[in-house]
Amino acid sequence: MWKRDEAVRPPQPASSPSPGAVPETSTPRVVDASRHSHSERDTVNIGKSVIIKGELSGSEDLTIEGQIEGKIELKQNVLTIGPNARIKASVFAKTVVVQGEVHGNVTASERVEIRDSGSVDGDLSAPRVAISDGAHFRGSIDMQKGVQQGSAKPEVPKVGEKAAETRSATAPAPAVSVAAASGSSGAPVR
Amino acid sequence: MAGLFNWHARKSDAAAAVAPVAAAEPSVTTSKVFPKFLATLSQKPSPVLVDVGGVVGANVAFFGERLACRLVVEDLVALVEAHAKRPGGDALSTALLKQLSALEPDSVDGVMCWDLFDYLDRATSQALASRLVKLLKKGGVLYGFFGTASAELTQYTRFIVQGPNSFRQRPYAATPTRRHVLQNRDLAKIFEGMLVTESVLLKTGTRETLFRKP
Repeated sequence: MWKRDEAVRPPQPASSPSPGAVPETSTPRVVDASRHSHSERDTVNIGKSVIIKGELSGSEDLTIEGQIEGKIELKQNVLTIGPNARIKASVFAKTVVVQGEVHGNVTASERVEIRDSGSVDGDLSAPRVAISDGAHFRGSIDMQKGVQQGSAKPEVPKVGEKAAETRSATAPAPAVSVAAASGSSGAPVR
Repeated sequence: MAGLFNWHARKSDAAAAVAPVAAAEPSVTTSKVFPKFLATLSQKPSPVLVDVGGVVGANVAFFGERLACRLVVEDLVALVEAHAKRPGGDALSTALLKQLSALEPDSVDGVMCWDLFDYLDRATSQALASRLVKLLKKGGVLYGFFGTASAELTQYTRFIVQGPNSFRQRPYAATPTRRHVLQNRDLAKIFEGMLVTESVLLKTGTRETLFRKP
């Protein structure tokens, strides 16, 4: 008589999720994680303590805070030379932003920007050049029509560059390669 | 009490008198000679232009758009300042000529000297002017300002081109130097081989001059 009918019992709020249930919050977390790894993949950093002597090429945006001697080639990407960076190299990129020190010629197919903390001793070649107040520059700026587009592109693509581009399209690993690098202080390339 | 109000009035008057000096804007100069300098260069295909002052971003953009030129920036003013701070070592003229040594003779279409010569003594002016004349191609032009009154110079000026006939002057600190005034005859002598095509005395007492290599 007093036995409660289990069939009409009101549903109890679940105090703990059943083992097979997927928590509601799990989906956004997964999205955040993928976003984070995506943004990490977009720009590669070379840290303050890294010294590279040789040729640096790749197909991803790159920020340099260390020291480079030789040649840097990122023909389709943005190269940022950070405030702590010291570069003695010929630089080729789509866009070059200089906040540190550069000794060498800089060629960009789109734009060169020297920020107020930046210093360039060398020749610039780009269709657009922006130099902030307080920046140091000594050299020539080539803004002659029809010269820049070709000059930023190397005539013969190298095998190493091709490989880097392919890797970047298929795998998430950074596609910046260093050729003939020596003298690294041991700090990792982030 | 009335005295107190008067004190406030006097204080606000004094503040008003000081305010314009503190908020002084860089002066703007209208030029009659600079458009002729530009006009000469615009007739040349892809001219090579040398600026002996410090780099100014706005000027780079202006000359790039106007002339599609190759602009060479040789900050000789920085060299003059470094020498004024530490007078020992190499003679200033040697340092200036060394900095220009990368440029080939007869390779330049235009030189912007701004007011650099005001900060140089006679011998250094002579050495630098001779070198600049050699760098210019036939038909090349040189543009400069020359102060007409002897004075103590306590600041350099950055000339920011605003348009074809005006520029803003932004002063910045310098190690005090005595100006060595160059009269017209002196200019003709040190820039031997050049013709004075335009010379205008501005209200500021500065002579704006355009030279051309025949």
